[in-house]
This record gives sequence, structure tokens and C-alpha cells, in this order.
Amino acid sequence: MTGFFSSETAWTIWFTLRVAALATILMAPPALAVAWLLSRKTWAGKSVVETLVALPLVMPPVATGLILLKLFGRRGLFGPALERIGMDVVFTWKAVVLAMMVMSFPLLVRGARIAFDDVNPRLEQMARSLGAGEARVLFTMTIPLAIRGIVGGLLLAFARALGEFGATVLVAGNIPWKTSTMSLAIYNFVQIGRDERAWPLLAVSVAICFLAVWFGETVLNRRRPLV
Amino acid sequence: MPTVRDGLLAAAACLGFGLLVSPAAAAEIRVSAAASLTEALQEASAAWIAQGGEPVAFNFGASSLLARQIEEGAPADLFFSADEVKMDGLGAKELIDRKTRKSLLSNSLVVVVAKERGAPVAAPEDLLKPEVRAIALAETRSVPAGIYAREYLTRKGLWDRLSGRVVPTENVRAALAAVEAGNADAAIVYRTDALISKKVAVACEVPVSDGPKISYPAAVLTAAKNPAGARGFLAFLESPVGTTIFRRYGFLLPK
Amino acid sequence: MLRIAFLEVPLAEFPLRAHLNLETRVTAIVGPSGAGKTSLLETIAGFRTPRLGRIELDGETLLDVAAGRNLPARLRRIGYVPQDDTLFPHLTVRRNLTYASAAGRGSPSADFDRVVGVLELEPVLERGSPRLSGGERRRVALGRALLARPRLLLCDEPLAGLHPELKARILSYLKRVREEFPIPMLYVAHDTAEVAMLADEVVALERGAVVGRGAAETFTWKESSFDGRTSPMEKTEPPFPTRSKG
Repeated sequence: MTGFFSSETAWTIWFTLRVAALATILMAPPALAVAWLLSRKTWAGKSVVETLVALPLVMPPVATGLILLKLFGRRGLFGPALERIGMDVVFTWKAVVLAMMVMSFPLLVRGARIAFDDVNPRLEQMARSLGAGEARVLFTMTIPLAIRGIVGGLLLAFARALGEFGATVLVAGNIPWKTSTMSLAIYNFVQIGRDERAWPLLAVSVAICFLAVWFGETVLNRRRPLV
Repeated sequence: MPTVRDGLLAAAACLGFGLLVSPAAAAEIRVSAAASLTEALQEASAAWIAQGGEPVAFNFGASSLLARQIEEGAPADLFFSADEVKMDGLGAKELIDRKTRKSLLSNSLVVVVAKERGAPVAAPEDLLKPEVRAIALAETRSVPAGIYAREYLTRKGLWDRLSGRVVPTENVRAALAAVEAGNADAAIVYRTDALISKKVAVACEVPVSDGPKISYPAAVLTAAKNPAGARGFLAFLESPVGTTIFRRYGFLLPK
Repeated sequence: MLRIAFLEVPLAEFPLRAHLNLETRVTAIVGPSGAGKTSLLETIAGFRTPRLGRIELDGETLLDVAAGRNLPARLRRIGYVPQDDTLFPHLTVRRNLTYASAAGRGSPSADFDRVVGVLELEPVLERGSPRLSGGERRRVALGRALLARPRLLLCDEPLAGLHPELKARILSYLKRVREEFPIPMLYVAHDTAEVAMLADEVVALERGAVVGRGAAETFTWKESSFDGRTSPMEKTEPPFPTRSKG
């Protein structure tokens, strides 16, 4: 078994897990906020926001990657500003996290919104009548009551981040020991005819995603299936 | 009492911290180099480190892709391209330190077929045979190996009749792999690539006098974070130790 | 003292209109189903916004549509015990009861012991709400509202959906609450016994309009009428223009 994972393979797996977890955690608060707004409020232009949020889910991932490149690259919109503060984003691990965040965002928003919709508003009303402010209602009522759907959404977002390829390859490249995720490494190994190096990565990817989605669907979302 | 929220914040902090102080913080030389240089440069960097040099982190790929990445802001110290055009492009954008630019190596092209039951090709014209259904070439408009191959085939008057059978690949190693895997009947790759592979045979060689002028320039980048290290490594590659390694892999040195 | 002036709440089939002052300790609201009783309670609690009107409690204006003032539910300090209890399913009985004090707006622990004692909730304190019987749920909802130290308690048919034996028990709890806690109560009543045992005054509501009010002992359930004597507090007739529709 020790020969199964070279040190580079082990690094790639660990790196992918770390960046996917970081991406999921970083985009969770804004995603939950957006999901809550979509669930509880209406405003002029709400449908525009809903569409924008859903875009990364529907657009070709490479298109999303190109947009990110045009925003964060040296010649991009934020390029000069980033250079001034000496921060490299594209073709570093930060770009990997960024690509994963953007691609997973709609999945978490969707799952959380459904969970928030399912929360009985009368419970929130009752909490208010007992003196709870909106923040307290959110943290003691809404989120705990929606927690299953939220965690299911987080797991799905994590699994999606793990498998992210199209946007990542454009905006982060496949640089060994720096930005090489499992998906990128698999692609590269197959490309150069070294399939045998791709097998361990393939096995681990499938196993992790299977566990994440299975747990999310069967344990947490008993009533609402994914397919 | 710690809550789930506290736990998540702690985890995020650990992850973020762990990534921020990851090995990238240590001194190293980041080299973006053409895919065909993979094995030679890896051996060269091992020798470099053995004599006290800093670690070298490689990013191998098609020179066109690497140049694009550098234009977009990818962090790198040294760029080693498989043709002059890509280096010129970066020069025009003031991304290379012109004083450090040197043309280090040359190469020659070969036509390869599978070692076992390979297509019957002994001369370039044999590529027209019906047994050769798919010819793998690196993308012929951007990747140096593909550009060189197309230039050669055009000069031989074969390009128009063969272009329909061409399968473009992302870089020269992918073209090689296509023949190894049996997905293409023939490929045009560098002689140095054919020497690396155990599963292909050289069907015919393109004589240097007959083929395109292949040149591998290297230069230190203006945005390099470790320009001194890059210059040092470049000097090492030019030194007798470096050139011996390149020669062993089949690269040609300029006169 | 609860002052309701020119209140108009649009409902599905007709508007709810009310204009009355309530000063007695316990007022019962009666009327056929769909008359708007629950909506009236919800409006007073701040869960529903009327189209017109003003509501004042102990001199504080809770709502004044014309002046644009609408105090949110969490600041009204009005306890609400809904018909379906609406207990927090993810919290134990104890956490349900102490929800208000944890929000910083509740009562010290002495009150907790007292309420638990009066409503006999000791045995179920650590239980989750799904595992409670109907009667227990009712008592917890009541206790939870009381522990928020409200200045007015609204109960929506506290005896609904209970079988007769349980009704009698809950009724006795309500009576105890009435005796132990000096908080004015406004509740939607279900039958004669409730009215007789708890209420000082009765307000009758029909199709969104107050059709009568008077002292509890003068109220006959069957005819839904009063024996002619009106409460001395009744000062003005509701001055709504459209009364002819009835």
C-alpha cells in the first residue's frame, strides 16, 4: 500500500482536501447570507440576483475560469491593485481556492435556501414575541432548524470543490506542489500517457466524493433526495 | 462553552495559516519550462542541488501555455521556452530581463510510430499511406513542437494532404503519449522525446539541415522573486556539467 | 389597559374591525370560527399589520398606522400562546421555558421555579418537545410566555383539541395562573366553563365585528347574547361608517 502513493500523489491529495475545505468554509457565510435573503426577503431585481447566483452552476466551467483570469490576472481588473499590495493570486493556491469558491457557491445557496424555506416562520415569530432580536432569531431558530439542509449543502459544495477542473485549469494551471489538484493531476497524467499514476488519485477522488454525497443525502436529507 | 461555530472558525484559521506558511515561503527557484525538457531539467536540478544550489520548483508544459501564464501574472523566476517566438512575445511586454536571455539548446524532429506493430513509415511521404489514419501533433498554431512540425511538413509539400489526419494535442508529450497508447498511428515529436519513451520507435529522422531551425531560449523574468537564484541556475545549465546532461538526453548545443 | 382604536385588518373574506378599551383582568373573546378572533390576537401581538388604527397598552403606543409607528413584536412585551403551541422542536422544555430570559429579557430564576411549580412541569423539564403529551405542550407554551414577563398575555383557545378530562385539568392550571400571576389576560374562549371560571368580561366577535360585550356573568353561551346589562366601561359605539352590512 505504501508504494501506491508517491509523495507527490500524497501531497496532491492532501492539498486538494485542504483547499476544498478552505474554499467551502470561506464561502459559507456569504452563501448562507444570500440564501437567507432569497428565502426571506423580496426586492426589485431579486430575480437578477437569483440568476447571477445560479450562473456558475450552468455556465461552462472554463468560461467561469476565463472570467476569473480576466479579473485577477496581471492584466485584469484587479491586477494592478493586487500587484501594488504584492499579492499573487493567479497560478497560486489562492486561485484554486477562488475557483472552487465560485463554482461551489450556487450549490450551497440552493441547499441552504431550501432548508430556510422549510423552517416554520411561526417559530421565528414566537421567538420574536419572546424578545429575540433578528440576530438571535437567526442563530437560535433559523439556522438550527435548517441545519440538516445546510450541512447537506456544505457537503455537496465540498464534493464539487474537490472535483473542480475547468475553472481551476485556466486560472491556476497545474503546477506540481503548488496548484496541482487531484482533478488536474489526473488529467495531466492521462495526457502524457502515465495512466498508472492517475489511478491512486482517481480512487481517492471517487471514494471521498462518494462518502461526502452519500452522507449528505442519506443521513441529512432523508426527505429530499438529490436525484 | 465552545460551539460548532468556534470549531469551524478554528479549523478555518488552521487551514488558512497552514496554506499561507506552506513551502512556498522557503527560498526556491521557480522555473517554467517546455515539456520536452522535463527529464533533462529534473536531472540538472538534482545536480544543481547536490552542489549546494537552492531547490528548484518546475512547471512543465507547452511553451505557449507557460508564456500565457506568465503574461497573466503567474509567479516564476526563469522561463525556458522551446521556441524564440514565445520569448519574443514576453520581451515585447517587458516581462523578461533581456540581458539574461540566451539561446541554450537546439533539437531535431523525428517521426515516431508504435514500437509493436507500428505503422509502416520509413520516410515522411509514407505518412500519406492509408495505414496512417491519425497523426498526433502538438497544437500546430501555438505549441513550438507543433509549429516546427507543420513548418517541416509544409516545406515537404505534405501539409495540405495530411492536415485532415492531424490530431492536435496540448503539448508534445501528449502527442507522444497518443502513439504510445495506440490512439494515433504516428506523431512528430522531438528526437529527445523519442529517446525517453520505451513504447515508440523512430520511424524516420528529420535531418537538422532539412528541418526547421529549432532553438530553446531561456531568460530570467522581470517579476522574478528570486532573480539571483534564477541567474545562478541558468549559469549552471550553461556550464559543462549542465551541457553534458543535456547532450546525454539528445539535445543539440549551438555552435 | 388596552386601548384599540379604529382598528381595521383586512382578512380573506371581510375586514376585522375593532374599537374598544379593555381594562378587566381577564377578557374572553368568543365567536364562531372564522370570525377573526385569532387575527385580532395576532394583530395585538404584532404579527399582523392592520390597515388602519391605533393600539395602546398601558399608555404606550404599540401601533399607530397614521403616524407610521409600529413597534416590533419583540419590544411589545406581550406574551402569546397560540392554538398550536408552537414549541421550539429543537429545544428541551427547559430551554423553551428559558428562551426569553436567555434573550436577556426574562425573569430571574426565582420566577422559573415558581412557574414550573404552578404548572407542574418538573417531571418534563429535560424532555424534548416532540415527546410531550398535548396537555404538557399546552402548559409549556403557557409557562414559556409567562417567563418572558409580559404585561399582557394572549391565549388562543387554550383548551382546544383536548379531551374533556384534560380540559378540566388545563382549566384548573389556567385558574391557578390567573391567581398567581397578576398579568392581564385576553383569551379566545371555547365554552361556558372557561368563561365562567376565568373571565371577568366577554367580547363577542362575529364576521370581523364586535357584536357585543359585557360582564361574564351576564353572558349566555347558547344565545351568544347578554342579558341587557352593559359594562360600565363601554363608552363609545364603534363609529365605523359601514355597519349596515352586518
